Amino acid sequence: MATLKLTHRFDADRCRHYIGDLVSVLHCHHYATLFTQLGIDAKDLVDGTKILKEVTEDVAHGVLTKYYSQNGVSDPQERLEIGQQLYSFYGLGKMTLVSPSAGGGTVEMSTTHVDEGWIKKWGKAKTPVNYIGAGFLAGLFAAAFDKPVRTYQVEEKQSRAMGAAKSIFAVSL
Amino acid sequence: MAIDRNKVISDMSKVKAEANPDGIIPAFNVLVNQMPAQFWNGFTRRMVDAVADDVKDAVEELLINAAHECGYHTGYGIITSKEWDAIVKPMVGGVEDVLHGAFAVFTAWGWAKSEIVELVPGKRMVVRAYDYYEADIALDYPGKKAPRPMAYMVRGVSAAFMDLAYGGAYDATGAKGLYSFRCKQTKGIEKGDQFGEFVVVPAAEYESL
Repeated sequence: MATLKLTHRFDADRCRHYIGDLVSVLHCHHYATLFTQLGIDAKDLVDGTKILKEVTEDVAHGVLTKYYSQNGVSDPQERLEIGQQLYSFYGLGKMTLVSPSAGGGTVEMSTTHVDEGWIKKWGKAKTPVNYIGAGFLAGLFAAAFDKPVRTYQVEEKQSRAMGAAKSIFAVSL
Repeated sequence: MAIDRNKVISDMSKVKAEANPDGIIPAFNVLVNQMPAQFWNGFTRRMVDAVADDVKDAVEELLINAAHECGYHTGYGIITSKEWDAIVKPMVGGVEDVLHGAFAVFTAWGWAKSEIVELVPGKRMVVRAYDYYEADIALDYPGKKAPRPMAYMVRGVSAAFMDLAYGGAYDATGAKGLYSFRCKQTKGIEKGDQFGEFVVVPAAEYESL
């Protein structure tokens, strides 16, 4: 199994943290869930949930594509494993990929930062809320199979925030 | 005993966030994540840019409020944490020291290299930030200059820290104390200024700033 290797350093002059070569910052579930709520509430002004998914997709795709290149990871299965570990490394939760292929697949999440945070903050949600997780999966599949962003559609079919034991996402072309 | 800012920054910057086997990072009474700053900046910029001019203020207020709530709850988690007790609390002599210590932690964790430059207890606080990740938003604009001050996170958290210091006892529901203060950004690196400047006053006095 491929193992994610990332270095962390603190730039004492600028007081910034870096994971790999990217500025990284700690934020809490209040911030992540309020960003999500903002995306949902803004629907009459702008498609905020689409923006949330696409931003996450762009970031995940960029980080993973660079990682694969710098570390010589070319096998799609290994790339997916690295992506799974990155999701957990960021504190976003734990995912299991069910028969993934270049055509898509099903992804289960036994825990997620957004869902656990949502329940902790507000209780059960009425609709799926993990747009960050969905965007990450779109970026992961695209990076793993050498596709550009916006190649994959990701739909959250079952949601922990709504009370399900695990979240389930469908990834398709 | 005053806050030894350099020591707090040095010690607190070493506190590591590591996910548990479930991929979750419980810390400071909240769940944290450690995503790239470009995620937070990307969502912020795209949301503000996507809406018409007449509703930008409303979206900005929501972004500030997200940080305000985050700062209130996570801030309380920080000042009641074992790390705070070990590193900062021995230097704390009063409420003002708590505030100075909180901004040292704010700096150590990479949110903003910031300090309080003026403090009138319970009335007014001015914070300067010499480097902050939100300033990187400017990199996505023509001429690498943002069209408006966009350090919404620093604004919200600065107001939240004043809530914690002078807004009464912490209320986990957020019904009391939270939003007692508001913050205006008067300078921004993202706009071309040398530093960011943030003025915090009681909410009732905000409109007169």
